[in-house]
Amino acid sequence: MKKLTRRVGSMLVLCALVSLPLAGQGAEGETPDLALRGFGTLGVARSDNGNAEFVRDLSQPNGIGRNWSARGDSLFGLQANYRVADNLEAVAQGVSHYRYDGSFSPELTWAYLKFEPSPDMMLRAGRFGTEFFMLADSRSVGYSYLTVRPPVDFFGNLPMNYVDGVFGRFTRRLESGLVRAELYTGLAREKLPTKGEFLDLAGSRLNGVSLDFQQGPWQARLSYAQLRFQNGTPMPGLTGPLIATGLPSAIGAAQALNLAGTYVHYRAFGVAYDDGAWQAQCDLNSTLRDSVLWEDLTSGYLIVGRRVGKWTPFLGYSWTRSGPKTLDTGVPALNPAVAGVLAFSHQDQHTVILGGRWDWRHNMDLKAQLDIVRGSASSVALVQNATPAWDGHIRVFTLALDFVF
Amino acid sequence: MVGFQRIFFLLAVGLLLLPQAAVAGVMVVVNPRSSVDHLSRDDVINIFMGRFRQLPNGLPASPVDLPVTERAKPEFYRLLVGKDMDQIAAYWSRLVFTGRTAPPMQAGSVEDMIRYLNANPGAVGYMDSNDVDRRVKAVLELK
Repeated sequence: MKKLTRRVGSMLVLCALVSLPLAGQGAEGETPDLALRGFGTLGVARSDNGNAEFVRDLSQPNGIGRNWSARGDSLFGLQANYRVADNLEAVAQGVSHYRYDGSFSPELTWAYLKFEPSPDMMLRAGRFGTEFFMLADSRSVGYSYLTVRPPVDFFGNLPMNYVDGVFGRFTRRLESGLVRAELYTGLAREKLPTKGEFLDLAGSRLNGVSLDFQQGPWQARLSYAQLRFQNGTPMPGLTGPLIATGLPSAIGAAQALNLAGTYVHYRAFGVAYDDGAWQAQCDLNSTLRDSVLWEDLTSGYLIVGRRVGKWTPFLGYSWTRSGPKTLDTGVPALNPAVAGVLAFSHQDQHTVILGGRWDWRHNMDLKAQLDIVRGSASSVALVQNATPAWDGHIRVFTLALDFVF
Repeated sequence: MVGFQRIFFLLAVGLLLLPQAAVAGVMVVVNPRSSVDHLSRDDVINIFMGRFRQLPNGLPASPVDLPVTERAKPEFYRLLVGKDMDQIAAYWSRLVFTGRTAPPMQAGSVEDMIRYLNANPGAVGYMDSNDVDRRVKAVLELK
């Protein structure tokens, strides 16, 4: 009921933001007070391995199997921008995509006020997307990038699309380039599917900072973010027997299995180049998780594309690798069950990405892409519904149509 | 042999008569009373690509675009950042849908752009070098 109320509330805010300016239209300025825009992707994909399903990110409860499916990459978004004053703007965005509960229920992804007191300062308050990793806040807008989806080895671990909070951006000239600092803090809201349950991120605090240098075709970005889990996933089947033993080591282990209160630290360094003909992006990330439940990992990707007329063939490589963690309960009979839970977050795989983008009409593109994933059989974090026969190898072929309006 | 020479000659004449990619060059222009006399290429990239919209004199810069029907528009972006209009649309889709920056103001014609430049001290536009007259001030030529 609370969820429903919240969703209805979100939709009301969206409606209010959309309808508000209609009354105020007809101002003389050449900038329209209200702009309504949209974006979307129709994607179909299939894989060659029936022993696990390929997902776009951890928020998807089921993935791509051996039959063509439009579930993984298709999405639709609507955005309203309303200019309140010269330096004040209200922005609302709703996106419908395949989400944690298996539905396409639309979510309010952006709802914020943006204030620009001067060209070198931008402040936002409300619900917004964070550029957690380079380009992370536009990963729903397929039309804005080359590949059919952000590289899964890298972005697949990214748990959230938006936070409710405040954001500041400060820009300075440096030689012939620009230096930009961004800071934000906020509370997450979304949910993740975890083996039949949901991990509710609601109330989890996310703080982030990034430093960016941009000059001509080059951009480099250094960022750090930390997330503090507010909630854990109850695992009574596992913690119950541990606590029942009465042994301090087993009770300690049960406490260690609680995610609540633990931190995740994300560090990333990215470089992008775009001179119109050549486009390249490279990003490296190290994620440290205090909790024993989720392994620490390093990941990265490189994508290079070359524009030839209306075509842009591209080639990419991405990888992710995590290190096992152990938890000794002091009760040998219970250790295997605990180890089994810890193994869920393991990832050790790399992917070769081959594809092409065709800008066949203005504001529309068609893409075809082959992902060749090679990993160990124990690499199960970035797939869903893996069977014991899963060998870590999967190829996924995707066709996508992206549009904006 | 003679036939070949004639065909070659006709081809050469034909090529000369083809409509030239006629933009002589694109001039970046500002309000004629502006204290800005020159913009660097990086300044113009920062202003038009929405990275940093401030003029060297400290005023906020407001970029204004020509309509797509004007040949100077694709030429401007080709010379500035090497992108065609589809690539420019893809570029803006990222900035617009993250809500970070708005694309340049859209003028209806060259005359419309000149009116806008004259009404706004911080406005920055561009036009075919041949269209530049005393109602605007040229601050950078892109060739």
